[in-house]
Amino acid sequence: MKKYLWAILYGIILTAFTLYVLMDTFVITRVYQTVPSDDEVSVTESRGSDDMEADVEKNTAVITENSYDDGNISITITEYRENNTEIYAADIQVTSAEYLKTAFASSAYGKNITQNTSEIAENNSAILAINGDYYGSQENGYVLRGGVLYRETASSGQEDLVIYQDGSFEIIDETSISAQQLLDDGAQQILSFGPGLVKDGQIAVTEDEEVGKAKTSNPRTAIGIINELHYLFVVSDGRTDESEGLTLYELAQFMQSLGVETAYNLDGGGSSTMYFNGEVINNPTTNGNSIKERGVSDIVYIGY
Amino acid sequence: MYISDIDTNTKRAAKTALVYLLVSLFCALFGAVYELYSHEVYSFYMIYAFAFPLAGGTMPFLVISLTRVRRYPNSLSRNLYHSGIAALTVGCIICGVLDIYGTTNMIVIWYWIIGIALFFAGVIVYFLSLVLGNKKS
Repeated sequence: MKKYLWAILYGIILTAFTLYVLMDTFVITRVYQTVPSDDEVSVTESRGSDDMEADVEKNTAVITENSYDDGNISITITEYRENNTEIYAADIQVTSAEYLKTAFASSAYGKNITQNTSEIAENNSAILAINGDYYGSQENGYVLRGGVLYRETASSGQEDLVIYQDGSFEIIDETSISAQQLLDDGAQQILSFGPGLVKDGQIAVTEDEEVGKAKTSNPRTAIGIINELHYLFVVSDGRTDESEGLTLYELAQFMQSLGVETAYNLDGGGSSTMYFNGEVINNPTTNGNSIKERGVSDIVYIGY
Repeated sequence: MYISDIDTNTKRAAKTALVYLLVSLFCALFGAVYELYSHEVYSFYMIYAFAFPLAGGTMPFLVISLTRVRRYPNSLSRNLYHSGIAALTVGCIICGVLDIYGTTNMIVIWYWIIGIALFFAGVIVYFLSLVLGNKKS
């Protein structure tokens, strides 16, 4: 027994450390910052009238199974079938960039804070929502949401999508510009996943492009801009018999075919979810066996 | 040294080499199965984790069993060395798990730091024992 004492003790320590690493990576929740709620926002910003505006607009909205129009926000959902995959494209036109928003799970910025896309969408009264960049699974990469900078550590070779206050899109490399500079230049949101799919109307991914070493067919989520205040949210199914999924190149081709000027890849796989008018309209799946949402750390949505 | 000592050492080393070989095979198999279910996301950490017990364990102890080493590594050097290889192997697999998931965690660096430190500590203690052993005789 004494002969194996070192081995036993060391084995216990190594196992305990490994369990801690796994818990810290996947389980232990850490809230670094909470997003100020509407009540905490300055009184002079008259949130009350914004809420009323939202209610009025929604009450007068024309809503069908695959469209929404209230004069400020117009959304049309079209289903496509390409590359043996169901693809859901939401064409969005808004009168103001303020209706293109992002939100965190549980309204908090941190680690291992996740909720289903539909839950986050409901909590934020979203009309249309897609999963975001899952910032929570990364230790680096810019996190800028709603004009607030949460993380400014750059990741080398990381391409981000910047959404400016005027609603315009730009794809940048984190190593070439700081998050603070982008904020100073008028950035409202930064999404950090990538890669960029379409730039200036041209496909920007090679046929071998990888996202986390996955260059194969998977469920995908992408966001694009067609022209001023005219956007495209796209989610594809995948990993099932019914839907194979898309490679990044196929996703880029699809975005380009719908006329986007700039398109950007967001978190895919089990995260890919599109929520519209209170329902998840795609078939999210992690392993292809069961259709169900996966918790994500953030969403991009259209709402008031 | 007696011939019987050499035989004992040969057997001990061969046994250790065999154990490390089995560990390498386990790591290779684990990596293969994990990759099978990873939606074609591949990680070099997961695929090549078996290299640590193979190159760091099987091969050196195979060499020891086939050659007539002056002195078999003492228990302290062996404990340090095996601990180092264990940390490096486990660290490599855990890095593979994180890599395939698509995330990172800075604290995995401790696997590499501790693993390399214990590995070299084991080697140094062994060579010191050779040097000091020579001086005594």
